[in-house]
Amino acid sequence: MKTTRLYLSNDTSSRAAGAGRLADAWSERPEIQLIRTSPRGAFFLEPMVERDTPNGREAWFNVVPDDLPRIVGGMGGTPVAGIPFLKQQTRFTFANFGTTEPLALDEYQTRGGLKGLEAARSLSPEAIVEELRISRLRGRGGAAFPVWKKWQVAQQTGSEQKYVVANADEGDAGTYCDRMIMEGDPFRLIEGMLICAQAIGATRGYIYCRYEYPAAAQTMRFAIQKAREADLLDFDDYPFDLEVVVGAGSYVCGEETALLESLEGRRGVVLAKPPYPAESGLYGKPTIVSNVLTFATIPNILTSGGAWHASLGTEGSRGTMAIQLGGRVKQPGLVEIPFGLTLREVLDRFGGGMAPGSRFKAVQVGGPLGSLFPESHLDISICYDTFAQAGAILGHGGIVVYDDETNMVELARHFMAFTADESCGKCTPCRVGSVRGREILERIQSGQGTAEDLILLSDLGETMKTASLCALGGRAPYPVETAIEHFGDEFRSKLSAFNLKQ
Amino acid sequence: MTTWHRPGLAEALEPCRPVPPAKPNILKTLLAVQTVLGHVPTSAIPQIAQVLGLTDAQVAGVLSYYSDIRTRSPSRHLIRVCMGESCTANHGGRVLRAIQDHVRVAVGDTTPEGRFTVEKMSCAGNCAVSPTVMIDEDVCGRVTPSGVPSLLEPYT
Ligand SMILES: Cc1cc2nc3c(=O)[nH]c(=O)nc-3n(C[C@H](O)[C@H](O)[C@H](O)COP(=O)(O)O)c2cc1C
Ligand code: SF4
Ligand code: FES
Repeated sequence: MKTTRLYLSNDTSSRAAGAGRLADAWSERPEIQLIRTSPRGAFFLEPMVERDTPNGREAWFNVVPDDLPRIVGGMGGTPVAGIPFLKQQTRFTFANFGTTEPLALDEYQTRGGLKGLEAARSLSPEAIVEELRISRLRGRGGAAFPVWKKWQVAQQTGSEQKYVVANADEGDAGTYCDRMIMEGDPFRLIEGMLICAQAIGATRGYIYCRYEYPAAAQTMRFAIQKAREADLLDFDDYPFDLEVVVGAGSYVCGEETALLESLEGRRGVVLAKPPYPAESGLYGKPTIVSNVLTFATIPNILTSGGAWHASLGTEGSRGTMAIQLGGRVKQPGLVEIPFGLTLREVLDRFGGGMAPGSRFKAVQVGGPLGSLFPESHLDISICYDTFAQAGAILGHGGIVVYDDETNMVELARHFMAFTADESCGKCTPCRVGSVRGREILERIQSGQGTAEDLILLSDLGETMKTASLCALGGRAPYPVETAIEHFGDEFRSKLSAFNLKQ
Repeated sequence: MTTWHRPGLAEALEPCRPVPPAKPNILKTLLAVQTVLGHVPTSAIPQIAQVLGLTDAQVAGVLSYYSDIRTRSPSRHLIRVCMGESCTANHGGRVLRAIQDHVRVAVGDTTPEGRFTVEKMSCAGNCAVSPTVMIDEDVCGRVTPSGVPSLLEPYT
């Protein structure tokens, strides 16, 4: 019997949408051969099944087990190349998504993988850093610091032992691109870390992966094993090794100094900088801590050159951005595009409008510490500088849309409660301020708040912004204040004085 | 002093015994214990501290810091309902209420027969198919309040 080869993503979100059910239901079907790939990133179409045709892949969307005869018969498929959500993207870091088996090293290589590492191995450490300087790549974890500067410091700091650490804590709710890379293209992360190790002379690497990502941690362990077996981890003159370390549920452990504390097995509290980890990090040695997406961007830069990377995007934001759409949009998923589109363009073109039956209220960019934007503020261009000017952040690229059933007072309380729960306790403005902030918002929510409470909240916010040691306390007021700024009536109508007048 | 030895604890601890020059790693050790025992009972602190060559207070400090290390014995299944922004925007709060109504337990508590513990979590990275509920290591997406009974049924 002729077997038809079908492709089905094995990504956590694809499985959560039903891919696992399909695989179970079809496991005994002799007419098909099921290949488990990485996802396309168009999660609203999942579970999605693809097959080869003479004109490229065709796909079936939101598949249920009974659809199999239709798919095997080749009826009703859509050419993948024609899916608007994917067609309008510029995939570089996520170029392999939807096509390869995550743990097939040979496929990774066939599709251009390891070329960046090869290029790096023929360059001097200084030349690698120079390539990154030309690329103008900024870190993708949130702080957007120029990558080459950190690498240069670590390279120039003399030490027998240096470390390279991938920050896979991905704590911002609404973000999932690091998880996708680890589950879907793990060798790209390994390659990026090896290039870094080569540039700074690191002998050991760690991937600090959050506890909530068991599948990502497991895939990375398998991939490291395969890379080791293929002798990829051997440097000419010294041994290098890579290890996955799992965290244990603390948002602040994503902050680099807290992460290193946690990696050493202690309480993950934030340390004052300087010294920066690039000079004195893990066990006091020079350490590069970079985000997973940052590392995954680097192989292409070494392959195609820093100038290629710098040719994409806007003046201060070069390259592509991995936007992760979530919340009440119709088409949630991963969008890789050069920096520069406006928020409205991204929501219209890729988000496809609102989920059926819901109306737009606000959008939050940059995770739980990011600002809220109402409809009238959507024409802001998505790049680091315009966002900074607006007092907002791109963070790790999460965009969450809220509908008109969202209660803004409750949402603001939720944000402050998050900070109060996650504060590491190191500095007073954050430790005490977040609890006070939560209490004030609880008071307003229960109808007991006064106009003075809103002033108190604003003063508290100023203190937290200026006096906190890290961005958790320093950014926590922004989502709350933007909620009050744009949806003030909801807050004022809850104040007790207002109620008395009624 | 009599120490009450839990089966498996000593075995779980052995690979964590620091070999100089390596320093003891408390977090890694606690996670190793949790993998074997399902949780880290506070009664195990002295034994852990002894193996690592540290004080009880040092171990207890780390144990209390990390929310994913449990000090209580787990139920058969851990239900974690995501309260991250994407799930909140998709009204995951309604899913949480439906789960609480269905299994009749408060957040943080365990059902009397020990079948389920219900907790909140902050993000499972499953935001594109939210709202999310994690049951043990299974990530479930697009969960609706009315779908809760059939979702929980297989977990006996
Ligand atoms: C509270 C807090 C949480 C953070 N969480 C993360 C995280 O989950 N992942 C991440 O890559 N960076 C996170 N960061 C940023 C890191 O401190 C650090 O800047 C980053 O890992 C550097 O990598 P990059 O240069 O590639 O961005 C966080 C920072 C703060 C203040
Ligand atoms: S701002 Fe908050 S999380 Fe950051 S160091 Fe201070 S207490 Fe810790
Ligand atoms: S916000 Fe719930 S899975 Fe990310």
